[in-house]
Amino acid sequence: MTSGRARPPLTAWAFLAPYAVAVGLLIVLPALLNLGYAFTDHTGLTRDPQFVGLANVRRMLSDGFLLDSVQASAIHVALAVPLRLLAAVGLGLLLAAPRPGGRWFRVAVYLPTVVPDVALAVLFLWVLNPLYGPLNQLLGLFGHPGFTWLSDPGTARVGVALMLVFPIGEGFLVVLAARRLLDGRLYEAAALEGCGPFGQLRRLTLPMLAPVLLLLAVRDTILTLQVNFVPAYVLTDGRPANATLYLPVYIFDQAFEFSSFAYGALITSVLMVVTTVVITALLLVVRRWRVLR
Amino acid sequence: MSDRGAIRLESLTRSYGRVVALDDVDLEVRAGEMMTLVGPSGSGKSTILRLIAGLDRPDQGRIVVDGQDVVRVPPHRRAVAMVFQDYALYPHLTVLGNLLFGLRVRRVKRAEAERRARAAADRLGIADLLDRYPDQTSGGQRQRIALARALLREPTVYLLDEPLASLDAPLRFATRADLLALHRELGTTTIHVTHDQAEAMTLGDRVAVLDRGRVRQIGPPQQVYDEPADTFVAGFLGSPPMNLVPGGGVLGGAAGLILGVRPEDLALDTDGPVEATVEAAEALGSETILLTRCPDGTRLTVRTGPRPGVRPGEGVRLRPDPGRLHRFDAETGRRR
Repeated sequence: MTSGRARPPLTAWAFLAPYAVAVGLLIVLPALLNLGYAFTDHTGLTRDPQFVGLANVRRMLSDGFLLDSVQASAIHVALAVPLRLLAAVGLGLLLAAPRPGGRWFRVAVYLPTVVPDVALAVLFLWVLNPLYGPLNQLLGLFGHPGFTWLSDPGTARVGVALMLVFPIGEGFLVVLAARRLLDGRLYEAAALEGCGPFGQLRRLTLPMLAPVLLLLAVRDTILTLQVNFVPAYVLTDGRPANATLYLPVYIFDQAFEFSSFAYGALITSVLMVVTTVVITALLLVVRRWRVLR
Repeated sequence: MSDRGAIRLESLTRSYGRVVALDDVDLEVRAGEMMTLVGPSGSGKSTILRLIAGLDRPDQGRIVVDGQDVVRVPPHRRAVAMVFQDYALYPHLTVLGNLLFGLRVRRVKRAEAERRARAAADRLGIADLLDRYPDQTSGGQRQRIALARALLREPTVYLLDEPLASLDAPLRFATRADLLALHRELGTTTIHVTHDQAEAMTLGDRVAVLDRGRVRQIGPPQQVYDEPADTFVAGFLGSPPMNLVPGGGVLGGAAGLILGVRPEDLALDTDGPVEATVEAAEALGSETILLTRCPDGTRLTVRTGPRPGVRPGEGVRLRPDPGRLHRFDAETGRRR
């Protein structure tokens, strides 16, 4: 190719066009419409929404449920993202090395990701059942009386996060692949210098995987703020005491159950702002800690 | 001189599955010596390095370093430093970070570690690279970084795995001299692996020629070149390789023998006893390689001076140097 840095050839744009059209029609346009609806009285049932200015914003500022919802979402991210990352990275590194039977373990780790989340949630209704659920029975083996998982605000939050620790297949695969790309000689060189397994993990593996881990953290944060809808809906329906009234759940309630489509639209924009804030904070920490070179 | 750095390998055997990488190898490296292991790929030379370093364990045999069997000693307790072929520099650390790595693992205090790292960098002329990352340095610089890192281990034995293989030709030439100078200065036992015969000839006090997991010959490079122990060594060392003629043929009949003569020991001589036709002439500037064919089909390679004045298709007569004919047993290939 001689064009080099010059304008990309027209064919490139032609190939991109279908995707661009889809993004425009399915994402950009609805997002703009959504922003517009936020300043109307649209109920989702009538056809002629009226512009109401900042009425919805005023309602939002005095909405105690929204505060609960933001809090629930924040706690959930703080709980679920580290747990999910730890599980994906831990299992990915553990199962990256070729060992007998490793393939079956890798399949086992990926499998929950293939299970539809409604099915997984129904399964967890049973797992977390205080009377006959296996989790409480397991705790019973250690002499613990067990928890009333989904009826207590604290344990309900943990319960939902616990369920989301299982569908980690994609992150697991990314870590697995990234670890396998690392040069084995580096580890031999480190071993010659007296660097043991934990030293190698701390001084080689984690620093070299840092870009991948950061990517996973950002992606998982975005995902976790959104995919908690199904488990929360099936397991707790936002209860108890709004502990699991995550933003997507609250948005759904407002838009489709309480006929406040416009208000739901406004909170959707809030969710986007919250996501942006969390990601920005994450990137600032990364820069401060000099995780990336 | 003390015995520090002397290495003795005793009937060392290592196989990977059905592949025998090393087959009952005995090898002695004297203290302070530079020993070159040379052989084609798969000959087991790198396996020997990995066994001495402790990155791998032998199935059988002993590895005696400084009079102590180290087979069960973990790598970092052995006083060996290894320079890998691709240098194995840590890509996420600066050059200084790479040099500090081992010192920090061994809990040397930060200030002291840095002082030592800078001294090693000075010695190898890479002091101005300390803040760069490995991918911002050239091949030659990387090699020096790897050497500096090895230096910081203060080992009694250096293991160099094809240290020059990733460098381009002119740099290789210069670095070869640098390596030799460094070795003279340090006086530390060094084992150097290569598949390049020029390196084998120039870098080692002694060279060990390996083939398929066995040591074929050990000796000073010139001696191994002048008196190869078998047909493999004769064919492997020297470029172009020695002419080997089963049964003697044009070089003079010799039943049950293979006669060998090096290309430079065949002279163009109008009265020479061997008649041949030039098939190709490769002018290399300082010399010319003639590929010739005798009437009975035997091919002989001749090394001669520049501008020999013969062209492909012309007939020539060759005179082998009678004192430089090599005789090998046709059955075993051993020198007779």
